[in-house]
Amino acid sequence: MAELSELIERCKTGDGLAFREVFRAHRADVARLVQRMTGRPADLEDIVQEVFLQVYRSIKDFRGQSRFSTWLYRVTVNVVLMQRRAARSRPVTHEAPDDAFGPDLRELPDDQVARARRVAAFYRLLDRLSDKKRAVFVLHELEGLSPSEIAKVVSAPVLTVRTRLFYARRELLTLLREEPSLAVVARELVHEVDAEAALSETEST
Amino acid sequence: MSRKRSDEEQALAHLVGELRELPPPELDWDRVEARLMNEPRPASGSVAPGFFGRLRLPAAALVAVATGVFLFAARHKPSPVAQSKATARIQNGPINGDALAVGTHVTAGNRNVVVEHVGRARWTLDPHATASVVDAAEFLTVRLEDGALSASVVPKPKPETFAVEVGGTRVAVHGTAFRVERVGDRIEVEVTEGTVAVEPIGTHSDPSFLLRRGSRGSFGLDGRTGSVEGNASVVMRDSGPKSHREIARSVAASPSHALATATPPASSAMSAPSADGALNPQPPSAAQPTPALPEQPSISDIEAGVSSAVELLNRCFRDKTQSTGVSVSVSTGMTLSIAGDGTVQSVTFGPPLAPAVEDCGVAGLRNLTFAHSLEGATFTRILELKR
Repeated sequence: MAELSELIERCKTGDGLAFREVFRAHRADVARLVQRMTGRPADLEDIVQEVFLQVYRSIKDFRGQSRFSTWLYRVTVNVVLMQRRAARSRPVTHEAPDDAFGPDLRELPDDQVARARRVAAFYRLLDRLSDKKRAVFVLHELEGLSPSEIAKVVSAPVLTVRTRLFYARRELLTLLREEPSLAVVARELVHEVDAEAALSETEST
Repeated sequence: MSRKRSDEEQALAHLVGELRELPPPELDWDRVEARLMNEPRPASGSVAPGFFGRLRLPAAALVAVATGVFLFAARHKPSPVAQSKATARIQNGPINGDALAVGTHVTAGNRNVVVEHVGRARWTLDPHATASVVDAAEFLTVRLEDGALSASVVPKPKPETFAVEVGGTRVAVHGTAFRVERVGDRIEVEVTEGTVAVEPIGTHSDPSFLLRRGSRGSFGLDGRTGSVEGNASVVMRDSGPKSHREIARSVAASPSHALATATPPASSAMSAPSADGALNPQPPSAAQPTPALPEQPSISDIEAGVSSAVELLNRCFRDKTQSTGVSVSVSTGMTLSIAGDGTVQSVTFGPPLAPAVEDCGVAGLRNLTFAHSLEGATFTRILELKR
């Protein structure tokens, strides 16, 4: 594959083959971030597609002042937030069931069922954070970006990013404590961890 | 900390770990790629549902709020990527700018188009003007491609919250109201309220020109050359890193900005210097320029002070808590308010620290000084104190 910088320059001239290569190289990263920011909504594919459409439209504005991945994160976050805002303005016709975001639980072993339910519960919990806090939390805790990288993605000072991160964590801890279903999850997890630790201690002795 | 809190933290860490381990979603990539690359364009007025229908969403959202002009929700070069032909006849009233995705082009018809970002800015396109949203995050940025644009920006403590880009030039708002017009290879800027900085794109906060209320200027597309009239000034960068000074050629410079002034002609035409300061510097006047204080301390100044504060508080934490042979750590948010003279005005901790630790920290922080600025700053920093 050609160098990324070369592909980007070709994309700016409207080169479809170059754009296809950029799409293929980065589509999994974009899909993963969209999934993490939204749970797994039914329109994940549409959002990913919208991200790349925005990339195509805006790539001429990419000036190489940051890494392409940072810029792509930025476009992705903006598209997700736009989609969420649009979704909020549409009437809600039904609530998605708990398991709507995961695989068919009937086909999974018990431990995987429990895990799928925990993931769904955690996505619901993340969904209760404000857009800004959720974006910062996901980018830092799940994507592994540093606060300074996140600052570039969300166009905010590093101190603001750190502050949002602090309050996102604090709110999540509060939600874990106050939300009955998630408190159960927390207790189960802790007992599970304790039991695993005890088991491994027993085995080692 | 209680066992309960510890449980929740463990649970949170575990949940985060589980989410991290999830494999990337498996999508039908062939279908997505086909839609992006190969889908035929819809005939005008018969946009198919699905992909093209989604492209119309931004325009569709505007149908209810404006009329009499056409808004092209997705106007771009011909390409293998599917294009939107979406247009909407929209009603009078401002368009919700927050609903416009980055990259969205807005073209006015025979009447003005008003775009409003609630609580942030309102920009008005003259008839037949075209602009696109370049950045919709905290630095709201619009690229003017053709015609004229007037903007009114809600004042914020931050120095810049809105900018218009034309060619290679960036017009950034420090104040409230201004107008930008592209006339061929020139950019005409007129300021009715506040202060506007004109600078090359990519040299953020390093302006070539500062225009204040009642002033106007005509600039090249490179953001470096131009002429100004009225209450405006040209900024010259020193050779040293990060420093710049405003030469004494400004016309009745605003005293609140502490700019150096001289007796200027009624209008001045000059080139702003290049980054190395070599281009057409004005002869030094009798009045040496006074470096203007920044409105707030820079991030690096704050970080340096915060590092000292962290050291101090860690020392207090070690000295003022009892040692039981167990490693202990606490997390707190420290909010510091810094006065313009760099002294610490107030400090709060949330959650609070032990009284003895707080007393020790506050006493030490009184002696801490930050860089001078016009307004000072208030910021919060998360601290992890360990013993």
